[in-house]
Amino acid sequence: MRLALREMRRRPGRFVIAVVLLTLVAALLMLLGGLLDGLIARSIGAIEAQRADLVTFSSTAERSFLRSRIDPATREAVAAVPGVARVGGLGVLQVGARVPGNGPRDLVDVALFGYEIAPQGVPRPPRLGEAYADRLLEDSGVRVGQQLLVGPARTPVEVVGFVDDVSYSGAGTLWASAATWRRAQEQNKPNAAVASGVFQALVVDGTRDAAALARAVDEASGGATETVTVAEAADSVGGVREQRSVFNQIIGVTVVIAIVVIALFFALLTVERTALYGILKAIGARSQTLFGGVVLQAVIVAAIAAAIGGVLALVFDALIPSGAIPYQLVPGRVVTSAVSLVLAAVAGSTFSLRRVLRIDPASAIGSST
Amino acid sequence: MSTATSEAGTGPSAGEPSALRMDAVRKVYGSGENAVVALDHVSLDLAPDEIVALVGPSGSGKTTLCSIAGGILAPTSGTVVVGGRDISGYGPKQLTEFRREEIGFVFQSVNLVPFLTARENLLVVDEIGARSGAPARTRADELLDELGLTDRAGHLPGALSGGQRQRVAIGRALMNDPTLVLFDEPTSALDTKLGDQVTQLIRTEMNKRGIAAIIVTHDERIAHYADRTVHILDGVLTDET
Amino acid sequence: MFLAWTEMRRAKTRFGMLIGAIALLVFLILFQQTLQTGLITSFVGAIEHQTSPVLVFSTDGRRNLQSSSITPELEQQVLAVPGLGRAGRIGQGTLSVLADGEIAGAAVIGYEDARLGAPETLVAGRRPTSPGEGIASESDADAGFAIGDIVRVQPGGYELRIVGQARDMNLQATPTIFTRYSTWEDATRSANPDATTLRPNALGLAPAPGVSDARLVRRVDALSPDVEALTRSDAATKAPGVSQVRTSFLLIFLLYGLVVPLVTGLFFLIITFQKASSLTLLRAIGSSGGRLVQSLLVQVVIVVGLGLAIGTALYAPISFQRIGSIPLRFETGAVLLWAVVLFALGLLSALVAARRVLAIDPIEATTGAGVQL
Repeated sequence: MRLALREMRRRPGRFVIAVVLLTLVAALLMLLGGLLDGLIARSIGAIEAQRADLVTFSSTAERSFLRSRIDPATREAVAAVPGVARVGGLGVLQVGARVPGNGPRDLVDVALFGYEIAPQGVPRPPRLGEAYADRLLEDSGVRVGQQLLVGPARTPVEVVGFVDDVSYSGAGTLWASAATWRRAQEQNKPNAAVASGVFQALVVDGTRDAAALARAVDEASGGATETVTVAEAADSVGGVREQRSVFNQIIGVTVVIAIVVIALFFALLTVERTALYGILKAIGARSQTLFGGVVLQAVIVAAIAAAIGGVLALVFDALIPSGAIPYQLVPGRVVTSAVSLVLAAVAGSTFSLRRVLRIDPASAIGSST
Repeated sequence: MSTATSEAGTGPSAGEPSALRMDAVRKVYGSGENAVVALDHVSLDLAPDEIVALVGPSGSGKTTLCSIAGGILAPTSGTVVVGGRDISGYGPKQLTEFRREEIGFVFQSVNLVPFLTARENLLVVDEIGARSGAPARTRADELLDELGLTDRAGHLPGALSGGQRQRVAIGRALMNDPTLVLFDEPTSALDTKLGDQVTQLIRTEMNKRGIAAIIVTHDERIAHYADRTVHILDGVLTDET
Repeated sequence: MFLAWTEMRRAKTRFGMLIGAIALLVFLILFQQTLQTGLITSFVGAIEHQTSPVLVFSTDGRRNLQSSSITPELEQQVLAVPGLGRAGRIGQGTLSVLADGEIAGAAVIGYEDARLGAPETLVAGRRPTSPGEGIASESDADAGFAIGDIVRVQPGGYELRIVGQARDMNLQATPTIFTRYSTWEDATRSANPDATTLRPNALGLAPAPGVSDARLVRRVDALSPDVEALTRSDAATKAPGVSQVRTSFLLIFLLYGLVVPLVTGLFFLIITFQKASSLTLLRAIGSSGGRLVQSLLVQVVIVVGLGLAIGTALYAPISFQRIGSIPLRFETGAVLLWAVVLFALGLLSALVAARRVLAIDPIEATTGAGVQL
């Protein structure tokens, strides 16, 4: 629809207004989305990376590592379930770590994992006293070869490498052998010491359908365990479900606001064009052609706004000091925000359809000055 | 020599299909006590290359007549046949298509698209229709040349004089090679000399192409450029040559 | 005034949409405001509203009651600090409990001295006087933590009876129960029999007369790098994550807040241009520029006012809900604050349109030029 395009090129002023407003909305969508993605990534990376189908907690733990304990007898029962290929123990200690070179009260939050089955991107468990560090910790001054002093007991842990996308509950992680973890746990949290062979949870890799296997495991343990899929375990990390729900609702309402804003400003534009549309209809233009032009303009405005908004989001991503806020710009998020905005544009422009349809070609003829 | 009936005399010669044939057309607005009869049993016959001046005061129904002839309005009763095509019973969609293909309009207030150049204003006709591309551009350039507007083709209406804008409007009306062109007070916004020039131009272009035209005007002087003058008063036609 | 209202009535759709957009924005802003408050309160409410003026954590606790642990050596050091009035231990543990037939997490906080670590005010009931009694948060009453309810620690089965209720007393967005120190010890041992020695998580301190909280904090900090003393309010505001939450929401508020005046200002600018000829006519027949601007501002007030009213009406029912474990509240203060801010911004944004209105030259009525774009 060249007419619609030419109007935008020759009379940009009126469209600039809509672009400015929608850019703001686009920036909002991407900021909200980036915050959500950042929060989620920092919360569940460690869980999602597990190379297993299921995670087993004790049944009274409410899927919390902190409150869960699996003793060797329960583990044996789990391992004996038909369909279970591998079982690995998992435990986590959340403490502060002292990093060489940082101030005496500048502790870094770490989650020290003791593991048996290596998650994705993490090598096999290192030797006693060693650990692989989450890339997130690099921002806090952690380097390979450093000896971190973990917890109030200052348990020494040497960093032997970096791993990516394995954060947990907002903290950077350290991945160590079960023995290293137990020692750290005992030294630092005597109130919650764990005996040898005891883990907080198990990761279970199976050959059967995950849901059925989970039920079978819980049965075999006599109800002492609660077994869930890795995805459900990730969802159970503190606050994740609520964050997702709340943020998605806020994003949804923001998209509705975009629809209303577009509807409003394109309705104003349409009013200005009543005479023009009357003439065009008189010389034979179909309503659908004219309306198609409106939709096209709305889509272009939204696309431009989304592009500028995307650039702003990238600039923002580059400017914020890492760690200041949990913000992560994922390409998928930029795309979905852009698509939502364009769809909102189409929806908003349909509010002008009735008005376009109602314009009478007879209004063009016989209008006296 | 006026007749008591509402019939216009000399029309097309036998054997030639009329450009326009209106038969006992009535247009009534409203109903019952509030009914307004805009046209009352109007009949009109136009030869394929005839130019008719339609003269009457405001409120006489001349705009309504043009609207019906041009397929913008549907009649309440009666038949309307344009170029052999009976549009009497057409619905809005069919009328739209009909106007696009067969009719040219030159409105009173010119009504060019203000953000399109003269050339682009002509090409709008192609855009809303079949979209033929290059042939349309060629035709537009030809028309602009004939109308003496080649050097103003790239200008916006704001940069054109009143007479030039009128000529662009005429060019637009001719783009789709219409059967009938309707001119609604084409000279009311122009001074006498310019009005004369434009009316001469209209006559030349219509005759050159053999297109029929109705020129609505309240100016009797313009009427002498037409082949025939038809008077209208209170929705009823009278005839005068 | 009449003119303003009549125009709005005639153009219901467009004004309706503007008011709708503003209402949705107001709703989102208020909702997020309450969310922020609820979020922060649910994480550090317990800290903010307990009685101890100064709290001492272990540095390793990173200002987090859960992670903090005071060794006997550190305790001795702190107790010897000059200027100390009173001191009391505070223990904390997050345990699984059976409440209302369901397993839930509960943060148990045990205080030695009710003036150092107990809830400041109770909204109902009384403080614990016997072992096994506790004060729960008002917002958790429906979940089995009401006065008279008994929750059982899992495993182990230790029973805690709720005898009192306090408001805004949660820790880490978990149902929270304040108990006496010995009760906390018993509950913790019930859940984890492996734990033999229990250390307090923090110490509550009150300065001696004549010593300020801040000075006590400095003195304790000077004792050892292994302890971190904070005043009560600092302990709440500097708790982990709080500043992140505030910064994130601040950005969000700025952007949403910006949308309202932009939409309003640009809307009125556009319709001013569209009304150009009628405005010019009015000026030509003698209406003063001031009167026309007044009419414009009246419309802005009506639009923003209705938007605020509807937005607040949408927010009200939501504000009584819970988001997971975060109770929301209808914040009158926030509503009033945003009302003032948005009115001011709305009126400011309309100044651009007002300027155009005043720039109309009545002579244009005869030439038909109207408002210049």
